[in-house]
Amino acid sequence: MYRNKRTGMIGIIITILILILTVILSNIDIQKMSYLENALNSFVMPIQNGLTYLKNKIEGNESFFTDISKLQEENEELKRKNSELEQTLREYEIVKSENETLKEYVNLKDKYQNYQTVPAYIIQKDITNYNQTIVINVGEKDGVKVDMAVIADQGLVGHVISTTQTTAKIQTIIDTASSVSCNISTSREPIIVTGTLEKTSTLRASYIPTDATILESDKVETSGIGGIYPKGIPIGTIKEIVSTKNVTDRYAYVETAVDFKKLETVLVITKN
Amino acid sequence: MKKFLSIIGLILTFFIIYFLQANFFTWFHIAGVKPNLFIVLILFIGLFMGNKLGFVFGLLLGIYIDLVIGKAVGISGIMLGIVGIVGEYLDKNFSKDSRVTMILMVAGSTAIYEVGQYIFQILRWNIPIELLPFIKILLIEVIFNVVLVIILYSLIQKVGNCLEGLFKSKSVLTRYF
Repeated sequence: MYRNKRTGMIGIIITILILILTVILSNIDIQKMSYLENALNSFVMPIQNGLTYLKNKIEGNESFFTDISKLQEENEELKRKNSELEQTLREYEIVKSENETLKEYVNLKDKYQNYQTVPAYIIQKDITNYNQTIVINVGEKDGVKVDMAVIADQGLVGHVISTTQTTAKIQTIIDTASSVSCNISTSREPIIVTGTLEKTSTLRASYIPTDATILESDKVETSGIGGIYPKGIPIGTIKEIVSTKNVTDRYAYVETAVDFKKLETVLVITKN
Repeated sequence: MKKFLSIIGLILTFFIIYFLQANFFTWFHIAGVKPNLFIVLILFIGLFMGNKLGFVFGLLLGIYIDLVIGKAVGISGIMLGIVGIVGEYLDKNFSKDSRVTMILMVAGSTAIYEVGQYIFQILRWNIPIELLPFIKILLIEVIFNVVLVIILYSLIQKVGNCLEGLFKSKSVLTRYF
């Protein structure tokens, strides 16, 4: 009990002293205390300067990281815009290419007008699995002769290999024994297309020049070399490019322009 | 007279097969592959008629096919002639009364014919060898022919026995006596 009274008295005294000191200190003119401030500053300010410098540095880095984030966002935005522009450019290229192709087709149509042609129906397709010959209902009496080119609306069909008075036998370009000298319509690179056993709508393009740049969806047309097929008749579109270890052996698959499964009518070019 | 009528009947059968190949099987095919019933017909002639009739029929009908639709005259004739000879050889060495041996004969003959044709094409036109697509087509064709023979087996046996009686009666007698 005594002890408790004493402890309570000390507490009261300390509190009073703190109060008095607080009143005194709060009423002192701070300018009069400048010497004390200088003395204290001499201890604190160098450290404080260092800390401030460090703080400023950190704040500066924070702005640097903030800038990186902004730059990344800007970069993403620019990439997106670039991608959109590339897409637009591709579409433009496609439209341009289509335009050129359409022009070529218009020219080809005009060219076809210059050809003297004989229309014919297919009366028989091949009866075996390894040959792709067809028989048409026009022959020698219609002016059809061996080695005349045969075309359809979409492109090249083949050439006449034998005739009778009323019929003609056509070796189509999808026959494995057929090979046609062609050009890639965009780059004008020469290639040879041959028939394959794999698919009736696919040709194999080989002898591609080593420095040739060929792309999928490039158009392929006859080169006019060989004397059978006139120049510029569409054959098909490059569907797949197969790269090999030796670049000279690389080849491509060409999807034929003509749908041979549905082919019913053809034109025999009797005079170029 | 019966022999003559039988030969006329076989020629008519050839034309029926021809029109089936040219029309029906361009629609009724397996993965784009048609059967080859000419092989079955010539093998049938070789097996049941003998007397080199298989070879003669094969040669003549093959040349006809080449003339009408082929790229070169002769190869189908030679290969079908070979199938006719193979038919006669098989008749001498195996029983054609078993459905299984009949199936194996048709499968083997189809393979011989098509491999011969393909080798000729490679040599004649210098075409690049496409082994896998060729084997794929050949297998489907063999299966197709075999399935058709299984379906037509009873008919083949009945008609074949009649023709064998007409064309090979003497040889049958000498064989058993």
